[in-house]
Amino acid sequence: MVFFIARNLGLLAVLWTLPVLIGDYNTYQLGLYLLYAVAAVGVAVCWGQVGFLPLGQSVFFGLGAYISGWSLRAFGESWQVWPLLSLAVIVPALSAWLIGWLVFQGKKESGPYFSLITLALSMLAFQLATSWNSITGGFNGLSGIPEFGGLDSFGSLYYLIAFCLVLALAGSSWLLQAPLGTLWRAISQNEPRLVFLGYSTGTLKALAFGYSGALAGLGGMFYAPHQGLVTPDLCGFILAAELVVWTAVGGRKSLLGPVSGVVLVGLLTSELRDVFAYWEVLVALLFIGVVLYLPNGLSGIFKPLSGLKKTKISPEIAIPARSSVSANGGLSLLFDNVSSQIGTVHILNKLSFHIKTAGIYCMIGPNGAGKTSSFNVLSGELPLSDGTIQINGQPLKLAQHRLSALGISRKFQFPSIFPELTLREHLSIPLWSNQAKAHQYLDHRLHRWRSQVLSSLLIQFPFLSNQHNLASALSHGERQILELVMTLIAEPKLLLLDEPCAGLSPQETKHVIETIREITQENNLTVIIIEHDMQLVRELAEHLFVLHQGNLLAEGNVLEIQNNEQVKAVYAGGSKT
Amino acid sequence: MESLLVFNSLNILYEVFSLLLVALGLGIIFGLLRVMNMAHGEFISLGAFTAVSCQMAGLSYWVAFPATLVVCGSIGFLLERFLIRQLYNRPFDTLVATWGLSILLRKLLELGFGKGYQSLELPLSGSVSIWGTGYPAYRLLLMGFIVILVGGLTLWYNRSSAAMRVKAMIGNPELAESVGLNTQRLACLTFICGVCCAGLAGTLLAPLYSVYPAMGLDYLLRSFFILVIGGVGNLWGLFTGAAIIGGLQSGLAVLVNQTAGYFAVLIVAIIFLWRNPDGIFHRA
Repeated sequence: MVFFIARNLGLLAVLWTLPVLIGDYNTYQLGLYLLYAVAAVGVAVCWGQVGFLPLGQSVFFGLGAYISGWSLRAFGESWQVWPLLSLAVIVPALSAWLIGWLVFQGKKESGPYFSLITLALSMLAFQLATSWNSITGGFNGLSGIPEFGGLDSFGSLYYLIAFCLVLALAGSSWLLQAPLGTLWRAISQNEPRLVFLGYSTGTLKALAFGYSGALAGLGGMFYAPHQGLVTPDLCGFILAAELVVWTAVGGRKSLLGPVSGVVLVGLLTSELRDVFAYWEVLVALLFIGVVLYLPNGLSGIFKPLSGLKKTKISPEIAIPARSSVSANGGLSLLFDNVSSQIGTVHILNKLSFHIKTAGIYCMIGPNGAGKTSSFNVLSGELPLSDGTIQINGQPLKLAQHRLSALGISRKFQFPSIFPELTLREHLSIPLWSNQAKAHQYLDHRLHRWRSQVLSSLLIQFPFLSNQHNLASALSHGERQILELVMTLIAEPKLLLLDEPCAGLSPQETKHVIETIREITQENNLTVIIIEHDMQLVRELAEHLFVLHQGNLLAEGNVLEIQNNEQVKAVYAGGSKT
Repeated sequence: MESLLVFNSLNILYEVFSLLLVALGLGIIFGLLRVMNMAHGEFISLGAFTAVSCQMAGLSYWVAFPATLVVCGSIGFLLERFLIRQLYNRPFDTLVATWGLSILLRKLLELGFGKGYQSLELPLSGSVSIWGTGYPAYRLLLMGFIVILVGGLTLWYNRSSAAMRVKAMIGNPELAESVGLNTQRLACLTFICGVCCAGLAGTLLAPLYSVYPAMGLDYLLRSFFILVIGGVGNLWGLFTGAAIIGGLQSGLAVLVNQTAGYFAVLIVAIIFLWRNPDGIFHRA
């Protein structure tokens, strides 16, 4: 905390002493680019942290500038201007949030279409600003905007701008260190995994976009009094493109990266554009080079590990077990004539089974029998073409991220983790899920939460105690265990495990089996395991389901299944007769 | 009255055909290679500026066609070899890198020709009478050319064995390679073909529209809109997309004004991008 304050105060001191060294005109120019930097920080948060690229950030910069310019012209220095000026931040923030919410809702990727939508929006905004004469002043824009609170745009306004930039940087870095920041980074790493841990990633991304809109609006708000003029160009794609170029060149993964990018590239461009004809061509080449070879930009060269400060873990906060779990233990799951079909391919064909009590169930069957597919239908990855799935007698019809709140946890066949997050973050995300209230995601104390289950798992698997290690440094077996542990920390009632021991050493396998068994017994858990290893099945399973061609072939205990003629026929390469 | 009807429907048809032409190159590069090519608009500018250069050099307009093929072909080859090849299967980086490429090409054009507008003489003046309505001859020629170009490409894509290899490469690159197809070379040729189509579109449209270095962005967005609305990977999608966008734009331009048409296109495209980015004719 002390470091955090000292660093930001230090930055502010540097920015505030600069005018003495560089003179009035350069200060004025620097002020303009620091405004762009405020918006670029927002681009870096979206692009570098959450992993989606806004290509039309100028829309919100322009919106802020128009609102601020219009208010200053209408009310000048009277008190009414202040609430109106705050709108220059609030309106862009809300519109960005709304756009993000609409676009991201119900989608599990942030692909290029979002970028294209924002690019198209910048074209639309430019058109609107040009044609809506009565409000925007049309092509010529709003001119003659008075100074802001009597601050001279060639002098004192600079200090306010520098203060705002430092505020934006401090605010952003505080947000990124909060649990919300952890979730944002998790989205960029592995969004589907986060959905299954119970988070509505669309909402989280919309928040990030809204925040970036607020920053762009803040930049625009000061732009109007600083330049005294707001034109439609401000909403257009050129500024939007430049914000992306500056952010990429400076480094999108850090927060100071975009600032240095804006100041270096932007200021140099404004100085050299007219002197040196090839300058802008060089900048474009530099940009392409950075995209290809330096994903972390220029700042990535200097401090490769900037995001990885090893903060001391403060005393941990014990949180109670989830009340819902111990109360009624396990849940009943009914597949009733479930079919799933894509095109003409039948994936599941009237699959029916019923699990009524807690315990360990194994699902076996030849390849293509529909084992993983039945998990996929349950968790909404595959369409349910016919039949019903009931949980505790209620038909299942929920958004994917709500499954976790019902107590359903899933481990994927191939370990699905967040490579660039630390182990501590991995363990915290499922711990918070459905436990923390919305506002608590801003509370840094959440990082210190620890539950009973987590403590006992840490003893079982000591490698998890190296909490600052990145998950990408783990072996395949350790990744399997990490993902399993994550699903267990969520304290589910129904646990879906897809070959949890694939790729584990015999030692690790034994360990994992013991853990599963222990936790199942302690918490009255229902576990369904897909497994090929019959040794393991014999050891674990209380009840077996044999699937064949998308249908249930047989069920019973191990002995019954082993003596079942149909099962023998299928496994020996025949078909059921 | 009747002549106005004929004139307006010819105009709408012309609009749709020219949009089809504009989107064709992107249809190849994005539709087949899945390369999110943000520099598509600048490839169109390249063709247009080739035509401008030919006029400056005192050459006939028709020389611009082979010249465009040479310029776009070689630039396409170099780009594929040194930029795009590193980016297959990295959709996000592709988007950003080609975005940078578009800035680069735009700046180079500004450097060479200045930021201002260039004008090109109409190579074929005069008009042809259709059902008693005079219609510009060059536009009719253009439509004829588009029919031949698109028809030829479609026929080629559906019939030739080269196209079969391209389809194999798209369907499963590893398998295609393991049965002895040189997928690197195929991808390169496909990319060059796309760049050349975009360039030809620029050359053909240059006499009718304003030519300036930043002209590409508008074409880029329109092409993406067409693909997004129609769906990638087949001609019907391309045609439907062009028909919807062209019809909307020119219809509203007649009924209200130019700006309203532009607004409507942007809004429809944004709705499609948002709700149904796979388009109407989605290739399963």
